[in-house]
Amino acid sequence: MKSIRNVTAGLIVYSTVAFAQGTSGAPPDNFSGMWLVQDPGSGSFEEWFANVPKPELRPDIIEDNKKLEESAKAGNVVNTARRLATCPVGNLPLMMASSPALNIVAAKDEVLIGAESNRARFIYTDGRDHSETKAPDYRPSGFGHSIGHWEGGTLVVDTVGFPARVCDSRHPVMPTPGGGRAKDTTRLTERIRLVGPDDMTITFTYEDPTVFLKPHTFTYKFKRVPEGSPFENNDDNRDPAYQQRQLGSVSTPEQK
Amino acid sequence: MRNTKILHSAALTSGFVLMTAAIPVFGQAATGAHPDISGYWELRYDSLSVPRASLVTPTTAALADAQARHDAESIRWCNNLGVPFIVGDREPLDIRQSPTVIAMIAKVQSSARYIYTDGRKHPDREDLDPTTNGHTIGHWDGDTLVTDTTGFNDRGATRIPGGGVRTPASHLVERYRLLNGGERLSAVFTWDDPKTFQKPHTYEFRYYKIPQISNPRILPCDPGDQERARFLLPPDGR
Repeated sequence: MKSIRNVTAGLIVYSTVAFAQGTSGAPPDNFSGMWLVQDPGSGSFEEWFANVPKPELRPDIIEDNKKLEESAKAGNVVNTARRLATCPVGNLPLMMASSPALNIVAAKDEVLIGAESNRARFIYTDGRDHSETKAPDYRPSGFGHSIGHWEGGTLVVDTVGFPARVCDSRHPVMPTPGGGRAKDTTRLTERIRLVGPDDMTITFTYEDPTVFLKPHTFTYKFKRVPEGSPFENNDDNRDPAYQQRQLGSVSTPEQK
Repeated sequence: MRNTKILHSAALTSGFVLMTAAIPVFGQAATGAHPDISGYWELRYDSLSVPRASLVTPTTAALADAQARHDAESIRWCNNLGVPFIVGDREPLDIRQSPTVIAMIAKVQSSARYIYTDGRKHPDREDLDPTTNGHTIGHWDGDTLVTDTTGFNDRGATRIPGGGVRTPASHLVERYRLLNGGERLSAVFTWDDPKTFQKPHTYEFRYYKIPQISNPRILPCDPGDQERARFLLPPDGR
C-alpha cells in the first residue's frame, strides 16, 4: 500500500510540472503503446470495479442492484445467455477496468484501444459526429460509438450508442464501476492524457438521467508497459476444459 | 504476458522514482516523416497476384481437404483466425499508423495485429507466446514499410495463398507501399519455412482505399449456431 501512496504522491508532484503538449489536433508521439491499469491489488476484480467514488444513483437502480446482489448470492453467477450472432460485441466499462494492458494506437483520424488479447474499440477523430448511431442499420456494440478530439495533449472522447441490453443473464444491462449502468441512453466522456512519459490517466464521466442523479466521475491511472506485446486468448469453445473453466471461474472466492 | 506481469509489479513499487527521474520530453506531435498507410483497405476482384508455391510436400487432395477442414473448424468455432487470413479477407482491413506502432484490425474474428516500428527486436523465443498473428516488427525503407514476423502458432486459419500453411516455423516478410497517390496499397508477402516451401513464396495484394467501413465494425460470431456449423462442416465431409 505504501508504494501506491508513493505513486499518488509522485503523480501530484509531477502533474505540477509544465511539459510539452502535443499540437492541438494531433496525437502526441508517445501516446501509443501498452498501458496497464494500476489496480491497487485488491485481489478481487469485483472489489476493484466497485472501488470508485460512489455514484448518486436513481432509487430504481439502487433497488435493481440489491436484486442483482441477492441473485448472485443465490448462485446466479454463471452467464447462461446464449452467445447469439445478434449479441453486442464488447463491454467498454469492463475492458477499461480489466488487468490486461490496453493497446493504444493513436493515428491521425482514428484512435484504437485494444484489450490485450481481444478486439479494439474505435475512437473516430476525423471530425465525424454520432449520426451513424441513428442509421437504421446501426448495431450497437458494448463499446458504443466514440468520437474524439485533441485538446492539447488530451484526447477527449464522447461515447453514445451503447446497447440497451447485453447477452448476460447475470447483468442484462452493462454495469459501470460503482453500480451504474451503460445503456442506450448513456453518454460517456473520457479525458485521456499523459501525465508523465510512462503515466497516463483516464477520467471517466458517465451521464444518464435514467441511471444517475448527477454525472458520475472517476479516474483510472495507467503505467506504460515498455516493449510489451499482447498475448492471445486461445480459449477454444470446443474444448471441454475451457467450457468447465468458464463455469468455475465466474464466482469470486471469499477475500480474507 | 510475462513482461506485463513484471512491469505491473515494477510500476507499483517504483512509480515515484520513475516519475521524478523522467525529464518531460513527451507529448510531442507526430512528425509525419513517413508515408501514412492508415485507412480502410479493401481487396477486390483484381487485387490478387498469387503464383503457385513451390512446396516441399506436394499437396494431395487429402492434404488439401485436411487443410481446408482445419480452417473451417476455426471459423466454425469462432477462433482467432490470424495471419494470413485477416490480410486476405474480402472484408475491409482497418490500418492505423502511429509513430511507434501500426495496428491492423479485421472485421472477422481475430485478435488485433500490431506492427512495432519503435526499433525493438523480436523477443527471445522463451519470452514469446506464439500467436495466430505472430510477433511483428517493422521499419521504413524509403517509402516502403518492411515488416518481419515470427512467433506464429498453427491455430486459426492457416492456409497461405498459393499453397502451404502457416506453422510455428513460418517467417513472413511484408513490404507495404502506397500507389496511385495513396488510393491503393501494395502488399508484397514473402513466406519462408524450410519444412513447407522449397524456396521463399512471394505474392502481392493491391488494396483499394475506401472512405469508411460500414457498421458493424466487428462481425459477431455464434459458435452455438448449429445450422452455420452444418453449413461450414457438412457431416458428409463435402
